[in-house]
Amino acid sequence: MKKYFKRVILIGLLLIGFLLKGQTDSTRTSIILDHLKNPSKDYILAVSHRGDWRYAPENSLPAIQRCVDLGVDIVEIDVRLTKDGHLVAMHDKTVDRTTNGKGKVNDLTLEEIKLLRLKNACGARGSRIQVPTLEEIMNLTKDKIMINLDKVEGETVKEAYAILKKTNTVNQAIFKGRETVQFMRSKYGDLLDSIVYMPILIDNTENPVKFVEDYNKNLSPFAYEVTFETESSKNFKQIAMLKREGVFVLNIALWDALVAGHTDEMSLLEGPDNSWGWLIENGANGIMTDRPEELLSYLKLKGFRKLKE
Amino acid sequence: MKHPISIIFFLCFLTFSSCKKEVKSSQITQIREEVTKTEKTVAPIAALISNLEDSKDNQVIVVAHRGDWRNAPENSLQAIENCIKMGVDMVEIDIRETKDGQLVLMHDETIDRTTTGSGKISDLTWEYLQTLQLRDGIGHETPHKIPTLEEALNLCKDKILVNLDKSYSIFDKCFQIIEKTGTQNQVVIKGAIPYQQVKSEFGTYLDNVFFMPIVRLKEPNSREIVDSYLDSLQPVAFEFTVPQDTIKMIEYFDDIREAGSSVWVNSLWPPHNGGHDDEKAVLDPTIYDWFIENDIDIIQTDRPKLLIEYLRSKELHK
Repeated sequence: MKKYFKRVILIGLLLIGFLLKGQTDSTRTSIILDHLKNPSKDYILAVSHRGDWRYAPENSLPAIQRCVDLGVDIVEIDVRLTKDGHLVAMHDKTVDRTTNGKGKVNDLTLEEIKLLRLKNACGARGSRIQVPTLEEIMNLTKDKIMINLDKVEGETVKEAYAILKKTNTVNQAIFKGRETVQFMRSKYGDLLDSIVYMPILIDNTENPVKFVEDYNKNLSPFAYEVTFETESSKNFKQIAMLKREGVFVLNIALWDALVAGHTDEMSLLEGPDNSWGWLIENGANGIMTDRPEELLSYLKLKGFRKLKE
Repeated sequence: MKHPISIIFFLCFLTFSSCKKEVKSSQITQIREEVTKTEKTVAPIAALISNLEDSKDNQVIVVAHRGDWRNAPENSLQAIENCIKMGVDMVEIDIRETKDGQLVLMHDETIDRTTTGSGKISDLTWEYLQTLQLRDGIGHETPHKIPTLEEALNLCKDKILVNLDKSYSIFDKCFQIIEKTGTQNQVVIKGAIPYQQVKSEFGTYLDNVFFMPIVRLKEPNSREIVDSYLDSLQPVAFEFTVPQDTIKMIEYFDDIREAGSSVWVNSLWPPHNGGHDDEKAVLDPTIYDWFIENDIDIIQTDRPKLLIEYLRSKELHK
């Protein structure tokens, strides 16, 4: 009798489990991806630069988890290869600035890097946090937040793709790069069709019109990162063109030369309407920021965080 | 997973964990609202000073290390301004002298890490420093400039207590600025030296600014150093470094408070506080209970917002 009772409970739990599972089929990451593919003024994406480094060390698991907790859509991280072929999150070529160790990432093994401890911003010591691997990051963020991979272009796309396959997160990471589509195709071939790829239109791109045309013909990306030093930059004019085609535009509000001065800092000093608001008015569908908490409050206040059902 | 029941529980956990996330983000909004509410109340300086002088009340003094360096460049006017708005009681800033005698806020000996320029501060002129911008916590240029001590003290005047670090050897010059800005009663200076030495080197200032001895508890004669200070200067507070939380001197803290001096311990790094540091407190703020339980009533922190929120939840901070 007791055994029978146990079985009934088991079946009941199983049923409840499946019912709830059915409801959460559209994960947070799939909703974000949908907004990237179908940009709208109702929902502006917040992209956090290196994780919330004001809260925890840049490119660390707690800095990324903090972004998940805040409700950030995408977290940008930098990945580099260790001497023994592991991808770890590290911005600089060396570990000197951000950890208590010294040396180039590609001269150190994963084991050696794991012995180090990350520093907080301003080089503040005392954290017990280790350098994370890309695999650890993808496992932490799976179905919760999208990852934007920097420093992989033309170098470690294959290695990163292998980790995404392994963790079953290929649709949750956005690769990006400044190279032309011809370069990327000759180097990676069909692999480019299997990943989410966002070309970067930086100010020294010689012919932005051709750069975009070639990409659109060959890969038709649904998102571009666009930087512009001034409002008369060629790139700035490209934004309107991309918008007409319904392509997602990501602006980088980190420093002056990337957004013609419409930075995070300007938001704090002169009010967000003059910077973040200005970027949105001029075509940004997403903003990369060093102030995720403040950006999200502003976007909510202005009605730019209405999720599609 | 050997048993099917564990799979089911795992499934349930997965589905419920998404609900937990919503609770978390609403908590964050709540905290944010509370902080914005408290941001408006600026503590008048008289209350801060009397709290500093009163070693027996239960209000804890929060000291922000290098200002609010997470949200503005370290040692910038903005970093001080943020502290004032946050309700921090004392801001710690670092003072250095340029080649031509200007006193400025700068932590390192060189300006390389925190500004757009390079070189040793003692080799550089104020004219040159004025052309530079400060960098943020990850090294990017900001619109903020290197402040002078005078600008910083004018900003702090009547609003927040100030701890001038690295200033002992140049205190004659610092004091001129302190007098000029009329901030004598707000300034705290610290030094890890015995009373006799302070008296001979610093004697003229002992009546004008707050001097706090730093006592390292790993040193065997720390009790004698404390007693000699208590018998003579009766400082407003002692700063202790506490490498292990088993050190016997911790039990003496309540007597020191009773004798009229406050007890200052940093929450910055583990060797300051026997492992009860800010980085642990981020994961679990009850770590700060160790300070409260051990009669510590001044805490220097790298997490002023977190510490103030926690202390206020316990009614230990106004």
